[in-house]
Amino acid sequence: MMSRPSVLAAGFHAYPPPAFEHVVHHHHPGVSYRPLPTSRPPELPAGYSQQHTGHHARTATQVRMSGPAYMASDEELAQLQKLSQDYQPETTGPLVGERQSTSALAHEYRDADPAYRVKTASLPDKYAFFRTCRGDGHCGWRAIAFTYFEALLRAADVTRLEDEHVRLRSMHNLLNHAGFAEDVYNDFADEAFELLQRLADSLRALDGSADAVLLDAFNDPSVAMSIITYFKLLASAWIQSHPNDYAPFLDYDVKTYCSLNIEAAQCEIDHVGINALAEAVVKPIGFALEVLYLDRSQGQGDEIDTHRFEPTAPNGQPLQSITTMRLLYRPGHYDILYKVEDVASPMLQQQQPVPTQAPLQVNLAGYTDEFVPMSSNMPDIMTMIPGLYPSGIGQRWPSLSYDCDPNPVPQPQITPVSAYAPTPTPAAPVASSHQEYITPVRASHISYHNPPSNHIQLQPPVNIPMHPAPPQPSLSIDRGPAIVERGGPFRPSMYELEPGFGSGQPHSLPFQTSIFRNSHYNTAHFLNPDFQPEEWSPDSEYATGNRGRHKSTSQ
Amino acid sequence: MALSAGTRSNGGSANVAQRLQKELMDIMTHPTPGISAFPVDENMTSWAATIDGPADTPYAGLTFKLSMEFATTYPYTAPTVLFKTPIYHPNVDFSGRICLDILKEKWAATMSVSSVLLSLQSLLGEPNNSSPLNGQAAELWDKDMVEYKRLVIARHKNPEELET
Repeated sequence: MMSRPSVLAAGFHAYPPPAFEHVVHHHHPGVSYRPLPTSRPPELPAGYSQQHTGHHARTATQVRMSGPAYMASDEELAQLQKLSQDYQPETTGPLVGERQSTSALAHEYRDADPAYRVKTASLPDKYAFFRTCRGDGHCGWRAIAFTYFEALLRAADVTRLEDEHVRLRSMHNLLNHAGFAEDVYNDFADEAFELLQRLADSLRALDGSADAVLLDAFNDPSVAMSIITYFKLLASAWIQSHPNDYAPFLDYDVKTYCSLNIEAAQCEIDHVGINALAEAVVKPIGFALEVLYLDRSQGQGDEIDTHRFEPTAPNGQPLQSITTMRLLYRPGHYDILYKVEDVASPMLQQQQPVPTQAPLQVNLAGYTDEFVPMSSNMPDIMTMIPGLYPSGIGQRWPSLSYDCDPNPVPQPQITPVSAYAPTPTPAAPVASSHQEYITPVRASHISYHNPPSNHIQLQPPVNIPMHPAPPQPSLSIDRGPAIVERGGPFRPSMYELEPGFGSGQPHSLPFQTSIFRNSHYNTAHFLNPDFQPEEWSPDSEYATGNRGRHKSTSQ
Repeated sequence: MALSAGTRSNGGSANVAQRLQKELMDIMTHPTPGISAFPVDENMTSWAATIDGPADTPYAGLTFKLSMEFATTYPYTAPTVLFKTPIYHPNVDFSGRICLDILKEKWAATMSVSSVLLSLQSLLGEPNNSSPLNGQAAELWDKDMVEYKRLVIARHKNPEELET
C-alpha cells in the first residue's frame, strides 16, 4: 500500500545536501552549491532535523556512489547535478487519499521497531481513521489545507464557508503589506475561494457531494498547488507581520527565512510554518490544530507526543466547542488523522449505510476512547458498560490519554485488535461462556467499580503485559474458550450486559450481541473483508451528561 | 467515492499557458528597460529573452540572449534558463547553465519571467563568488578586473552572430 517512511519523506531533493556539496568540491571545485540551511528553530520536536537530514543523506549516498568512483568530467558532473536537482522521490498514491482505518497503520508497523510498534498499536483506539497525503514535499502544507476545508465542512454550514471567504480576503492586507503583488497572489487565492464556493454550493444542494468535491479538488495538482501556495503566502505574510513572535526562533532575518522556508515552491513545512498557519488561518475560526509526532522519541511511554494549537475566545478563555484538525507526523512526512467523532457529521451519514441503532453500538468503542453520547433518549445504557469510557476524559481534552489515568491494572487495549480469535458461530457458544463471569447489571450506579480481583481472574496470566512490553499478537490464540475476545478499551468484566439485553429494541441485523459486534464477522469490524465503518448519529442516539461519572470507572 | 485526479488532467498545462499569457501581457504593458522576453512556440512553454549588461559592470553595453523553458508544473517549479550567448561569468558555465538560488531552491511560485530576468541582470554585476561554476572567473573578478573584462569581451558574441 504505502512504503513508509522513506518514500514519503520527500520533497527535499531540491536541495543538494551538504554531503553532496562536499563531495563535489573535493573533485571539482568549480561546481558548487549553496549549503542547505540545516539548523532549525529550537522548539522543534526531538528527531525533527535529524530525520530530515536522513532524507538528504539518502540522496547524497546515491550521488556519492557514482561520484567519487571516477573523476567526473564537467558534463558528467552537470549531469549528476541535474539528476540531483530533478530527483523526484517515488511518490505514489493520490495527493490526498481516502479516509481509512488506522488499524492499517498498526498493521504497517507490526514488524517495525518496538517504539513504533507500541505507538501505532495504541493508535486505532484513539484515532479511528487516517488519510494519506502524498509525500512530494508539500504534504504538511497539503495536510493542513485539506483538513482546514474539511473541518469547515464538518459544521455543514454554508454561512460559515461564506464567512471564511470574507475573512481570508480581509487577510490580503497582510499579503500586500508583505510585498506580494496582488495580481500574483490572486491567482492562488482564487482557487481557494472557488473551492469554498463549490463546497458551499454542494452543501446547499444537499447532495452529500461536498466531501467528494473537496477530495477531487485536492487531487487536482493545479488546484491543490494553488491552494497550498496561497496558504504558504498567508503563513509568510503572518510571520512577516509578527516578526517579534518569530524572529527569536529563526536563524535568518524574517524575510530571508520566509523566502527560503515558506515561500519557496519546494519546501516542506517546518514547525514555524505550522505555527504561522495555526495562528493565521486555523485558530481565528476556532479550530484547534493537533500534531501527533510518531517518532522514536520516548516522551510519555507508549504515547505519541502531541502538540496542540488551541484556539481561544477573544477574552482569552478556551473555547468550549472546538473542531480539531489532526495531523500525524512521521519523520519527514505528514498525514491526516481523525477521531471517530471527527468524521461523524450529518453529511457523512448520507454516504454510508447506518446500521440499525441497537442499544449498544459497542464496536465504536473499539476505535476510540472518545465516544461522546450526544442525546438523552437512552440515558444510562452506555454507562452500564464498564470500560467503554476507560479514560473518563472528555472531548475537551482529547490530547490527554487514558494511559495517564491512575488505573493500576494493565490495559488490555494495547493488545492489537488483530489478535482476535475467530468465533466460529457468533452467537450461541459465546453466550454460554459469557455466563461464567457476567452478572447482568440493571442499575447503573453499581456498575462503575471493577474490583481488581475480578479483573485479574478474568485475564489469563499470560495476557498481562509487563510494562512496557510491546503487544504480543499471538497470545490470544492460547486463550481458553471462556475468554471473550475484545479489542480496544474493553476488558472483561463481571458487570456485563446479558447478550439478550435490550432485545426489546428493534433489530434488523440477525446478530446484535456485543460478542458479535466485537467479532470480525461484523462488517463494522476492521478485520471484516467487507469492512464498513459504522456511523453514529449524534442527534438520535445515546445520552449526554454521563461523562462526569465515568471518571469513577477506572478507580 | 471515485477519485478523479484526471478530471482536469489538461488543467496543468492550460493553467501554465494562462499564467504565462498573463506574464507576457504584463511584460508588454509594463516593459522594463534592459530586459525583454517573448514566447517562441504557440503553447508558450518556450521563451526567448534578452538582458542588457548593466552599466558600470564588465558587461555594460553587451546584450545576452537566453532561453527559458517552462514545465507543466510552472509556476511551482522554476523555469529552466540558459544563456544562449556565450558569457564569461563566475556563476555560468561554458554551456550557459546558470547557478542561481532563485532558479533552484529559492524558487517561489510568486516569481515570474521578469523577476527571473531582473535577478539574472543583477547577477551579472554581483556574482556569487563563493559558489562559482567558473572558478577562474570568480578568482579574476577579485584579482584582475582588466583581464576579467578582456575575457568577457573575448567570449561574447552579438546576438546576430548566433545561429539560433
